[in-house]
Amino acid sequence: MAMGTEHDDLREQAELYVLGALPPADRDAFEAHMASCADCTAHVKSLSTVAHALAYLAPQHEPPSALRERVVHSVSGSPLKAEPTPRPIVARPGTALPWLAVAASLVLAAALGIYSLNLRSRIGALELRLQEATDRATTGERRIADLRRVADDAHSQLAVLVAPDLLRIDLAGQPRAPQASARAFWSRSRGLVFTASNLPAVPAGKTYQLWVLTRQPAPISAGLFKPDPSGRVDAVFETPSDLPQPIGMAVTIEQDGGVASPTGDKYLVGL
Amino acid sequence: MAELYDRHARPIYSLALRILGDTTEAEDIVQEVFSQAWKQAARYNASRGAVGAWLLTLARSRAIDRLRAKRARPGDVSDERVAGQLVDAGPPADLLVLSSEQVARVRAALDELPLLQRAAIELAYYEGLTHAEIADRLEQPLGTVKTRIRLAMLKLRDVLAGTV
Repeated sequence: MAMGTEHDDLREQAELYVLGALPPADRDAFEAHMASCADCTAHVKSLSTVAHALAYLAPQHEPPSALRERVVHSVSGSPLKAEPTPRPIVARPGTALPWLAVAASLVLAAALGIYSLNLRSRIGALELRLQEATDRATTGERRIADLRRVADDAHSQLAVLVAPDLLRIDLAGQPRAPQASARAFWSRSRGLVFTASNLPAVPAGKTYQLWVLTRQPAPISAGLFKPDPSGRVDAVFETPSDLPQPIGMAVTIEQDGGVASPTGDKYLVGL
Repeated sequence: MAELYDRHARPIYSLALRILGDTTEAEDIVQEVFSQAWKQAARYNASRGAVGAWLLTLARSRAIDRLRAKRARPGDVSDERVAGQLVDAGPPADLLVLSSEQVARVRAALDELPLLQRAAIELAYYEGLTHAEIADRLEQPLGTVKTRIRLAMLKLRDVLAGTV
């Protein structure tokens, strides 16, 4: 039946529609069909919850406290009333210098953000190529060998990123470093890759320490690191093969040389 | 409005920052979204959960529009409504507030997806690419990309439904 076929063809576009991935002409055609098709409307509705959930998967960052006042003031046209704020607002001295520092850090954050997006996109493309090669293992031995050689040459990091048992943990900045963020990739067979951006510089005599959280009560130290002057970290750590399954990671600041269990302030946490 | 802000600003800001990678632009998006919400306050008398979903949908549309505008090359056909379709759809009145456990399950399910599926979903949702652009970016046939997106979305939907 022509009608049935058309409906089936269009229904298969519901997932793309919900993600906003249909080009304009296809989108309009789908919307026109949906207007008279309860089945497709219900299907889209059931999928739209997924899109809603995706919105919450972005690494969570606290918006600057000044933004709250600006928004509330601009929309209500009246001064901000003394309503409770979810986080304490840090008082700033009334000089221009802290604002310069804030402005500078925003510029830096923007640059790092774009850089990390590009890097992520590149790593993603390499991951995919290697994955595809792995899928064709039985028929494309030579291609795998080529790609593995490329990967091995490129980065020891990539070895972790393409591990079949790869686990990814996103870490969010804590009140001591609200602009900081990080991502850890862990594979039992190949170790741990840790990248972070916007981390504050460590004071003399101090170091950052990365902790692996497992179902055991005591966090396990993965290693020590210091960010480069731009606040960026790219580090690879070896982890013991009998490490319990990680359920989260955290970064604290500690005395140089590290400590057996965390004592300092938390800068990044991911669960 | 202050209450609305305190309840929703963080996920809105975070989503805009994820899409645009720029704190100043993310702040602009937050301001625009709340400004629009304020102007249209009479139109959303639905449940609180639906308001949150609607605000996030507005935020994503505006952020993606900006991203596309930045990406647009001279000569490109402009289409200001590419991301706008979700806005027009409006918030389903019965959309539930997602629990943090549900979000965690979707995150885990997303991470467990084959790389191609995960990448396709992320490129569509966070970068606003169409299926053809995703196929280009991932160097995959269009049909493959469509199929993978369908499989991934159905899988994620089932993960969510199983926890409601």
